[in-house]
Amino acid sequence: MKRLTIFAGLAAAALASAVPAHADSFTLWVRSDGSTFMPKVVEAFNASHQNKAELQIVPVNELVQKYAVAAAGGTAPDALSLDLIYTPSFAAAGQLEDITDLAKSLPYFKALSPAHLSVGTYEGKIYGVPFSADASVLIWNKDLFKQAGLDPEKGPTTWAEIRSDAEKIRKLGPDIYGYYFSGNCGGCNIFTFTPLIWATGGDIFSADSKKAQMNSPAVHEAVAFYQGMVKDGLVPAGSKTDTGVNFFAAFATGKIGITPSGSFAIGALNSQYPNLHYGVTFLPGKTGGMSSFAGGDNFVVSKGTKKLALIKEFLEFAYSLPGQTLLAKNGSLPIRSDIAKDALAGLDARYLVAADAMAKGKTPYSVVFNDLINSANGPWNTTLNKVFFADEAAIDPALKECDAMMQSIIDAAK
Amino acid sequence: MSGTEIDDRPGGAPSSARRVRRRRRIDYAGLFYIAPAVILVVVFFVIPLGMMVWMSFHNWPLMGRPRWIGLGNYATLWHDQLFWNALGFTIYYTVCATIGLLAVGLALALFVEKPRPGVSLYRTAYFLPVVVGFASASLLWLWLSNVDSGLFSPLAQRLGLTEVLYNVNAQFDSAFWSVTLMVIWKMSGFYMVILMSGLQAIPADFHEAARIDGANSRQRFLFITLPLIRRPLVLALILAVTGSMLAFDQFYIVLAGGPQNETLTAVYWIFNQSFVSFRLGYGSALSVVLLAILLVLSLVQLRLLHGQEDGR
Repeated sequence: MKRLTIFAGLAAAALASAVPAHADSFTLWVRSDGSTFMPKVVEAFNASHQNKAELQIVPVNELVQKYAVAAAGGTAPDALSLDLIYTPSFAAAGQLEDITDLAKSLPYFKALSPAHLSVGTYEGKIYGVPFSADASVLIWNKDLFKQAGLDPEKGPTTWAEIRSDAEKIRKLGPDIYGYYFSGNCGGCNIFTFTPLIWATGGDIFSADSKKAQMNSPAVHEAVAFYQGMVKDGLVPAGSKTDTGVNFFAAFATGKIGITPSGSFAIGALNSQYPNLHYGVTFLPGKTGGMSSFAGGDNFVVSKGTKKLALIKEFLEFAYSLPGQTLLAKNGSLPIRSDIAKDALAGLDARYLVAADAMAKGKTPYSVVFNDLINSANGPWNTTLNKVFFADEAAIDPALKECDAMMQSIIDAAK
Repeated sequence: MSGTEIDDRPGGAPSSARRVRRRRRIDYAGLFYIAPAVILVVVFFVIPLGMMVWMSFHNWPLMGRPRWIGLGNYATLWHDQLFWNALGFTIYYTVCATIGLLAVGLALALFVEKPRPGVSLYRTAYFLPVVVGFASASLLWLWLSNVDSGLFSPLAQRLGLTEVLYNVNAQFDSAFWSVTLMVIWKMSGFYMVILMSGLQAIPADFHEAARIDGANSRQRFLFITLPLIRRPLVLALILAVTGSMLAFDQFYIVLAGGPQNETLTAVYWIFNQSFVSFRLGYGSALSVVLLAILLVLSLVQLRLLHGQEDGR
């Protein structure tokens, strides 16, 4: 009897050593915005590797809540592809595993998107590494440019050019407008309006993100620029109440001359509106220059996971050229600048503009980003919605008030 | 007690003992029967309510560790101007919506009360919007009130009412009344049913007698109909007030609290604090305060009903 047990034990040990890398798996969540590229990456990983990733797609507006509930119940996923701006607040809440060593062990660490890493770092430690990328750019309708007698191949490079182009296009018809932005969408405007401020040399937060700087010259000028276009009727009336629903759709109607948008729009326009001819350029500063909001997802790891080796395997696959190409083909910019060109080879050349914007892009850093910026009722959105559609005298007091409100939220979070 | 009863009447002892035993059995049986309901109420109401009160004494983030702060949340709440603004707006909305709902509901009830040809068609038609969910109705309204691709603004322009496209949701008054009218359209059928049942319970003789006495239709409505439907009217009032005080979906979906946060309701603010700012503890404290306000409101309304009945 005893011998039998020993034999069984030996057999089991032999079996186990015969299959050293018996297939293991880790759980992975992605917000619904990544529902095009992530399943493709996971599928390719699972097909080529013994270990597996188990993917779950979570509606973007419920991700934080769902993750918090899962974490409290001990069922958080091993890894999560998280909207990069949330990385600081997740890290501050103690939910994430410090992956500094993992990140720095990657030979191409220095080529990873610096904007992603800047928000992925909390108190000197890396908690999130870049996964997907979306840069903000300016797009223009080439057909309308041609009709208005403008050079359809040359996009505007200063605010004055945007404005004069928009004026000419507005004259084409009563329902054709020069410019469009979603006037009641905090997320849209941090993505497309702040780059105008950055490119003019200003910022909405101080360098250490501890001070709000809404009441600064560059913000004033950018607001006045938008306000002027609204006042002169270059922007459709619906902009004022657009909570982001028409962020992409307005330009797609073909009745908008110029709009700030994101690199995601390139893929979406090509597949859904193949007859719309458009160009992609940088979001300019007042008298030139450029900037971009580096958006997308950071890849984070839940605290206490035991699947770190697997996760690294998955990340290395996603960072490889096949992985980056797969991402690029499915709506995300590459996040490795050293192989970005190769990953984008054969794709629409306009992606290169976006990839360039991405490499020079910035991401605001805040542990209370949702409160300050994304909330429809937060100071950023309410103030912009007020000043864009008011007159010049309203700018100064509104920005001052916004500054104070933001500061009190920042201070309360300390 | 029952034992002595049995001793006193030896003849009837067996039967009365059985009766006592049966009564006991019925007591247990009763408990057994209501147990599912009690368990449901305890699990899904009492425990969550206690949990909410408990959470309201903590700094309870959505992620991370809760920390006991006693009455800290309530102190913050006292100075939270946005919450009191939201509460003020909610009360304004409640007054407008309740008057609208009861007036339209009563008018519809008077119209469809009497059986006549085709009346069931009207009843069904008026009740239909009630079965549409609030979120669906709001999404419908969101589209209808869209300035570029909706119905209201382009229609007004076509009819020559406005010169240029008028953005309904951009001004407080038009945005507020657009949403309030949607609520009245959607919910008045429900109040119609409540009030109709009251109207149908009034014996026809009363109206006949009044008519013989020479009362005109206005007098009959004021002195016979209204006093006799007081109970369903108060029920409708309580439901309308409570429902309106808890308004959220329509302002969230159609207006996102805009323009300029002027249509933020109390529940919207609680939602924002809990799930946008991730401050569950503070959200709980706000909920406790709102619950207390609603309790007082309902008590006042019930007292009004009883007071009038006593005076009769």
